Formats: sequence, C-alpha cells, structure tokens
Amino acid sequence: MMRRKVVFLLLTVLAVFSLTGLAAEKKLTVISGWSGPEMDAFMPVLKEFEKETGIRVDYQIYRAEDLAVLLPAQFDSKTAPADVIFMWAWFINKQAQNGHVLEVTGALNESDFVPGVLDAVKSGGKLWGAPYTGKIKPGFWYRKSFFKQHGLAVPNTWEEFVDLCARIKKLPGVRAPIASGNGVGWPLSDVTEHFIATFGGPEMTRDLIAGKVKWTDPAVRAIFENRLAPLLKAGYFSEPIEWTMAADLWWAGDYALFFMGSWITGMVKDPADLGVFALPGARGLVFGTDYAFVPAYTKYPAEARKLLAHLATRGQTLQVAAGGHIATYTGAPLDVYPPVDREVAALLRGREALPDLDDTIGGEWQPAFWDQLKLLWVSPDRVGEVLDTLQRKAGK
Amino acid sequence: MRTLRGRALFFVPALALLAVFVVYPVVNTVWLSFFTSEGQFALLGNYGEVLSQPEMFDPRGFARGFPYGALVHNVMWIVIHLPLTAGLGLVLAVILREIRGGAIVKSIIFLGMVTPMVVGGVILRFLFDGNVGILPSLMSIVGIPRRTLTAYPDTALFSLILGSLWLWTPFSMILYSAGLETIPDYVYEAAVIDGASPMRAFFAITVPMLRPVTGVVITMTFLWVLKIFDIVYVATMGGPGGASNVLALQMYMYAFREFDANSAAVVATLLMLVALAVSIPTFRSVRGEQP
Repeated sequence: MMRRKVVFLLLTVLAVFSLTGLAAEKKLTVISGWSGPEMDAFMPVLKEFEKETGIRVDYQIYRAEDLAVLLPAQFDSKTAPADVIFMWAWFINKQAQNGHVLEVTGALNESDFVPGVLDAVKSGGKLWGAPYTGKIKPGFWYRKSFFKQHGLAVPNTWEEFVDLCARIKKLPGVRAPIASGNGVGWPLSDVTEHFIATFGGPEMTRDLIAGKVKWTDPAVRAIFENRLAPLLKAGYFSEPIEWTMAADLWWAGDYALFFMGSWITGMVKDPADLGVFALPGARGLVFGTDYAFVPAYTKYPAEARKLLAHLATRGQTLQVAAGGHIATYTGAPLDVYPPVDREVAALLRGREALPDLDDTIGGEWQPAFWDQLKLLWVSPDRVGEVLDTLQRKAGK
Repeated sequence: MRTLRGRALFFVPALALLAVFVVYPVVNTVWLSFFTSEGQFALLGNYGEVLSQPEMFDPRGFARGFPYGALVHNVMWIVIHLPLTAGLGLVLAVILREIRGGAIVKSIIFLGMVTPMVVGGVILRFLFDGNVGILPSLMSIVGIPRRTLTAYPDTALFSLILGSLWLWTPFSMILYSAGLETIPDYVYEAAVIDGASPMRAFFAITVPMLRPVTGVVITMTFLWVLKIFDIVYVATMGGPGGASNVLALQMYMYAFREFDANSAAVVATLLMLVALAVSIPTFRSVRGEQP
C-alpha cells in the first residue's frame, strides 16, 4: 500500500514537471495596431526572428488608443500583456519615468539610425525604446490613370490646388474631390497638420507641440479660417469615412484625392498607378516613426531585448521591402525599396522632417484633438469654437 | 439562538465578498469625490468644478446646438427612449399575443436583447453609415440626401437613441408579455359583454392592470439609460465634438484618459444618487404590494 502511494506520488511529480517543462517553452508576444494587409507585411519580420533564434513569437493586435488605457492599469499591478509593445514615444517616456519600462541602452548602436530618431525614446541619458520604420505623410495621393483620364494636373500653387478641387467636384460620378479617411480621428489630424506645416511652416508645428503658440493665436486661426474651413464649406472634403473604406472608395474612383501616410503604397493593388503631391509651398512633412519598448515585467528580458534589436535593424530591412515603410535604420539598402517608396522618400528632399503633432503631444489632448476635428469636418462654421476647445484642453 | 448563529455563519463568505467588492469601492469612491488629487478636503468643490465643465453641462448648446453636455444628453436619452421603449414594448406584447406566429416574431425581436452592447455599437456605426448604412439608404429613397448620421452633431445622439431602442425594447416586450398572462381572460370577456371596444379594453383594463410591470420597466430602463456606455464608446466615442457624450463615458474619460480619479468619483457618485432616488421608491412599492 505504501509502495503504491510512493509510486503514485512520484508519477504525479514527474507529470507536473513535464507539463511545467512544456509550459516553460520560451515564447515572446508582440503587440501592435497593425491588422489586415499591414499585419501580413509585418509577419515575415517576426518569422525571421523565429527562424534565427528558435524562439516562438506570437502577435496580437491592439490599437494604441486602447493600450493607452489598458497598459497603465496593468503596469500598476506589475504585469504586461506582451514582451514587446509598439506605442507612441510620449507614452514610452511617461511609463519609463514610472519605472515600467526595461532600459535598453546598449541594445542598439545609435550611429546605425537616422540622426535624432532615438531622441524621442531617450531620457536621463538612457534608452527606453527602439525605433521601427517610419511613414511619411506626404500629401494627397491620386491615381495617375484617373488624372490622365480627366486631364488633371498636379497643382503648383494654392490657387491651382483650389481650382483642381473645383474641377474634380464637377466630374460625373465623383462624390467629392477629397476622401476624408477617419478612424478615431487621426487621418483628419494628418490633413490638419499638413495645412499647419504648409501655411505656418515647420516652426509653427514645433511651437504648437511645445506649447509656445496657442491654438487661438491669430496666425493659427488664419490657417483654419482661411485655408481649411473654406475647402470644407465648399464640399471639397467628404464627410469622415472609416479610412480603409475611404481608401477603397477612392481607389474605385468615387473620390480623386486621398490624404494618407506612405503605408498606402503597400495597400493598393497597383502601386505604379500611385502619385502624390504635397500642398504647394510645404516646407515640412510629417515623418512619423513607430516605436517599440519592452515592459519591465516581461518574463524574458534578454530575449525581449534581442527581439527589439532585431525589429529595429534586420526587421526594418524586411519591412521596407514589403512597401509603404521608410527605414530609420541606415543599414537598410535603397535597392530593397519598391520604386514608389523611393519616390516617396525623395519627397522629403529639401523639406524638414517633422514629428507627428498629436502623437508627440499625446495625453488627454490627443483624443480631444481628434474629436474636435470630427466636429470641424462636418461643421466648419464652428472653427472658432473648435480652436477654443483645443486651447482649453492644451492648457490643462 | 445557537441555530440562528450557526445559520448566520453561512452568510459570512457572501457578506465578505460584498464588503470587499461592493461596499468598500462605493465608500471609497464617495470619499474620493470629496478630496482633491493632492489629498485636500474639498467638500463640494470637486462637484462644482466637474459640473461647470462644458463636457458635463454646456449652456452654449441652447444657442448653437449640440453638444449640451453629458448631463443634458443623458436627460434627453431618458426623455426620448423611456416612453418609446415602454410604449413599443407594450404594443408589441399585445399585438404579438394575438397573431399567429407571434412567438417566432418575439424571438426575432429578442435578438436585440441578447446582442452584446459592444457588438450593438459596431452594428449601429455601420447601420447609420452614409455609404453602406440601411437607414441612409432608406432615407435616400424618399429624397433625403445620404449622410452618416453619427458623424454630425445634430443627429449623432438621436441616432444612438434610435439604435438603443432596438437593443432594449425586447426587455419591456418580454416583461409585458409575461404580465399579460397574469390578466384573467374573464375580465376581458366581461368587458366585451358590456360592449367595450378593443381600444377601450386596452386602456381601461390592460394598462391599469399592468401598472406594476410598467413600474419595473420604467425603473430598469431608467437605470439602463443612466449607465449607457458601450454603444456610445464603440459607435461615436462621444463625438463629434462631444455631441453624443454621456455621463458614463465622461466618467471613463476622467478615470482612464485624464487619470483624474477624483472627478470620475464625482460623476460616479452623482450617478449612484440618481439611481438610488429612482430605485428605492420602486423597491418600496413592490414590498408594499406583497401580501
């Protein structure tokens, strides 16, 4: 009887250890907001890491807006939903200040990256995150075939741009000249930032970010009241449409122009048919870099740092080959870029690369900015009220 | 006495859970609402500050239109949704009781009730979409230009209220259906003999005899509307420009976007007080009717 008990106990212990051993197989989890075609383009980057290291990598989709709410609560309870998470740089810095981010100083060689790109995730002399690829928000995309069919030309002045919109509006079958992509509000914010950067210059963008200029400043108000609102009132922009639906409608010819980031080149059927132009006179273009970090509560810090370094270096080379991304890693050779992305990268020449305004300011102001722009788009006569609200929120 | 003490011991685990997960959070929330984020006692200072925020109450709305503030939006929601839900539920219950296949139709209507609110919000977002939505398509047939109803400040809130009718009317319909079964047939037979028309019987017999059920429907609907959050969050996020913002969403914004627990506690306490003001009389009236 005693012997049976001992044998049973030994077998149980063996079974438990076996299961524990199986469960202990190393597995890393990566979270970002990419889904659909963007996710399909990102998966090979993770697969490459799995092949090189033998460590399994799982991928989960979460929007950054939702992570901004979920992560602080999880971090406060010393847990994290993933080992590598893509988030805004301001969020990474804020969480690093609270001790929730693993320091990764030494994991990357700063000289391997575009100058200054690591600054956004550095504080106190330490590195808290890694840059991934960036996307330019270059301007208004159009189909070359559409322009050719209707005898349209890229505008060189503001007057030509307004005239182009007026001509497109009269075309049969076209609902509006410009498709207004919308999600939680961010594609509308991209358009707005482009107007600010063009008519206020890169200085105004930086001053608004730093809080040196108010949203109610006459110069800022003039851009909204004299440039953006008149176009909205004239019906040159569509009402806000879910942005992936807007992309489909624009590609089908319901709209002629679509303001979107350079990732659109990886989403359309025929990238060779794509053309893009910035607003005439634009001296700066938003170059938005994606950043990733490792939470301090990861079970596998060494492996997570390794994955982060892979994403920032070899991963970027693989990603840009898929189209729609611009590497911040200088080791990515130019010949891996699809031709249309080389054209997009060329748009930055002679122009200043600007940070994304709302991603940089962040906090509670960012969703307020998005929400107010959704109001402005359908009620452009309320531009004064929108700017007052933005300033009130910025002042908090 | 010993038996009673012995039995009381069985309540201890449940009471402990209640104390930890209900009583403590409620007391702590109310306590938080009287203090600033620096820990200073503010009495009603927080309440004044929160209620003066345009997100909560915006009197400018009465001159220019939406938004009016979450407080007013919730009142609008209650004023529009409550009578429609109760009335529609009663009418459906009466009609579907009489017709053949009524049970099947009731089951189809009940789908709205079993749909998760988050899914309901996604459905509403596309239901009112100018490009693919059914409602704008139907409106275009009668000459109204297609537009995304949830994208405009003057129609966003009303669209959500209309959509919420589909989600909550099954509740009142089911309650009234059950209530109708409790009315004896001989009451209607007597009314017919006395020459009462179906309409007269409805108002003179059905409505008065369903008063207890109506009380429950009104209370539950009121409480449901008071705490409405998920469909607004998913469908419009309270926009555009706060035009469809509601109290529960504003509480969420304070707590998880602005990390202002004290302001969130103020909204939570206000919601609790209003809910108590409505539900306590209802419970009392139900107890009063018990034999």
